[in-house]
Order: sequence, then C-alpha cells, then structure tokens
Amino acid sequence: MTQAGLYTLAASALAGIGVYGLLARRHLLRRILAVNLLGNAVFLLLVAFARRQPGYVDPVPHAMVLTGIVVAVSATAFALALARRYYAETGLDHLPEDEG
Amino acid sequence: MGLAFDLLLAGGLLGLALQVVASRGLFRSVVLFIALGLLMALAWARLAAPDLALAEAAIGAGLTGALLLSAYRALQPAEEAADPGPAALPRWGALAAAVLSGALVAALGWAALGLEAPAASAGREALARLGESGVKSPLTGVLLGFRAIDTLAEVVVLLVAFLGARVVAEPLQRAGPGPSAPGSGEPVLTAPLLRLVVPMGVIVAGYLLWSGGHQPGGAFQAGAVLAALGVLLRLTGRLQPAAATSPAERLALVGGIVLFSAIGLAGAGTASAVLAYPEAWAYPLILAIETGLAVAIALPLTLLFSGSAGLRWRER
Repeated sequence: MTQAGLYTLAASALAGIGVYGLLARRHLLRRILAVNLLGNAVFLLLVAFARRQPGYVDPVPHAMVLTGIVVAVSATAFALALARRYYAETGLDHLPEDEG
Repeated sequence: MGLAFDLLLAGGLLGLALQVVASRGLFRSVVLFIALGLLMALAWARLAAPDLALAEAAIGAGLTGALLLSAYRALQPAEEAADPGPAALPRWGALAAAVLSGALVAALGWAALGLEAPAASAGREALARLGESGVKSPLTGVLLGFRAIDTLAEVVVLLVAFLGARVVAEPLQRAGPGPSAPGSGEPVLTAPLLRLVVPMGVIVAGYLLWSGGHQPGGAFQAGAVLAALGVLLRLTGRLQPAAATSPAERLALVGGIVLFSAIGLAGAGTASAVLAYPEAWAYPLILAIETGLAVAIALPLTLLFSGSAGLRWRER
C-alpha cells in the first residue's frame, strides 16, 4: 500500500470517529472536539492527496490546509466563547434540544 | 521501514481519536486531543509538509489546547454536577452513521486515488512559474502570490472570529486564566526563565518569518510563535486583560489586512492584476505583507485566549 493510500484510510476512519463523537456525545466541549477531529480528517485527506504521485508534492493543498488550520482555530475559539457565554447564562453544558 | 512508521503513526492517531471521543472524563479528552495534535504534526512531517507540521504543532496543538483547557475550567462545575450522558440519538444510530460516513470517505478517497493524476494541475503550474512569485518557497509563493485572495480572506476570518467572540464575551473578571498581579506567589525561576524565553521566542518568530521566503516557515508559523509568547505572558500575569482595545492594538489588528489590501489593490495599476505584485518589488512587498500578517495573526489569537478586548503590560 502506498503512503497516500494509508493516510487516506486513516483520514476516513478519523472522519468516522468525528461523526460518532458529534452524534453520540452532547457536552458542548466534546462536540467542539469532535468537529475538530472531522476537520483534521479533511486536512489529512487533502495532504495525503498532495502526495499521490511519487516524487512530486503539490503545494496548493498544503496552502489550503495551512489556511484551514488558522480558520479552524478561529472557529474553535469563537465556538468556545459561545459555549462559555451559554453556560454562564443558562448553567447548561449541552443544548436543550438534545434532552433525551 | 518507512511504511511501518506510517502504520504506527496512523494507528496512534486513530487510537487517540477514539479515546478523545469515548473517554469518560472530559479533562482526559481535552489532553488527549492536544496529544493528537502533536501526532498530526508528525504525520504532516511524514507527508512532506514541514510548513504544516510547524503550524500544527504551534496552532493546532498549542493554541487550540490552551483555549480548550481554559474553556474546560470555565465549564467545569457543570461536568462535576452531572454528566449529561449520551445524546438523544441512540448509540447504535450514531455508530451506524459514523461507520457509514467513514466508509463513504474511504470509498471516495480510494476511487479518487485510483484515477490517473492529471498531467496539468494548479500545483504543477505553481511550481513551474515559481520564479514569477518572487520567493523560492513553493508554499509561500502559493499563499502570498498565486492564491493571495485565500490568505487575505483567512486573516479577515480570524478578525471576524475575534469580533464575534467579543460580542458574546463574558465580563472581564470572568475572562481567561492568569493571575491578577505578576509575581504574587510565583515560583522563583519564573521571572529569569521568562527573561530568557521571551527574547528567544521573538528571535525564533523573526527567523521563521524571514525563512518563509526560501524554506519552510512564514507568517503563519511566526504569528503562532508570537501568540504562544502572548499566552505565556498572559498566564504569568505580565500581560493583564483590559476592557478596551488601545489604538496601538487596533492598528495591529487591522494593519496586516489594510496593508495586504492596499498593496493588492495597487497591483491593479502597477502590476497585471489585483493582488499581483510588480515583479521587481515582489519579494520586499511579500516580506512586508508577511510581517503585518504575523502580527495580525498573533494578536487576535492572544486576545481570544485572554478573553479580553485588550492587553496591558504590567511590570512587577
């Protein structure tokens, strides 16, 4: 198996784990972690594809992922600020529509 | 040998990810997520993406981790009171959705890998015309030359995230961690260590910024190192949160975007297109933009961690 193939498989498993975390847990912080796992899966997929041809590394996906890492941390920081404010207002650490 | 290492790394990544999702304690999940970020950095290095490894180690693992731990402490009482338990969706439903989506990604990825790679791609074009970008590093050439619009938009996203976080921010006394006064009961070695680490950090950031022109490095990595220094100074009380953003901070927040946009717009007249640079000036202009961007990345990230509108220096 090639390196690109191996990391493509790893990325798909990571995406599956992320989806599971997003659906199966309802603590807000855990959901934010799960979304970050999904994001990492997408990054891994892109970078694995940049390496699919031997002896050539595509710089364009790398640039997209570098941009993506900064956007991901921005979105995470905003989501965490939202979660903190939500907890301060309601005392809840999960969304009411998730009440089982 | 190489593939065995990749196998171990992929296994480690997946094992950690499983623990992040499945472990009972929230603190454990957060810490394992930070460890996962470090393994991701190793994976980027294995996949011939040293720029990403640098950025991931500093931003993905370091800053995201600091933000998560700070938020964990703010949300902690809730977790101790009652574990909210699983979501309304039954566990088998979540598991089925997870397995199906993982299989979908795997099938699509496998099919795409099987296709013959196109002879002409944006990446090959960028590599072939790297000389026109004014820099020698392919990644910097793409980020600030061929796809400058993405980079500009990304810094705007960061600023918008900071502004959004300000809108929903809690009062200053409930802002992020860190002592209210420097030097109160801190270990003896903190001050001498900071005196060593902070100047070194600034030098490392400057080096990363400079090296972006010809080797791995650049505005993102330099900005991340500067933001890490900001977090360090905030945690040791040297930087105190403030309720207002000072004029200098405002300038630093928007300066990179304004400079980038101004040079980009000037490109319509002096070069071939908007966000193109006149060829003789390309390298100095890119370096100037990168310096502005590094500051425009570092300051919002530090302020997002601090949970305040501004920061004030406070000598002990």
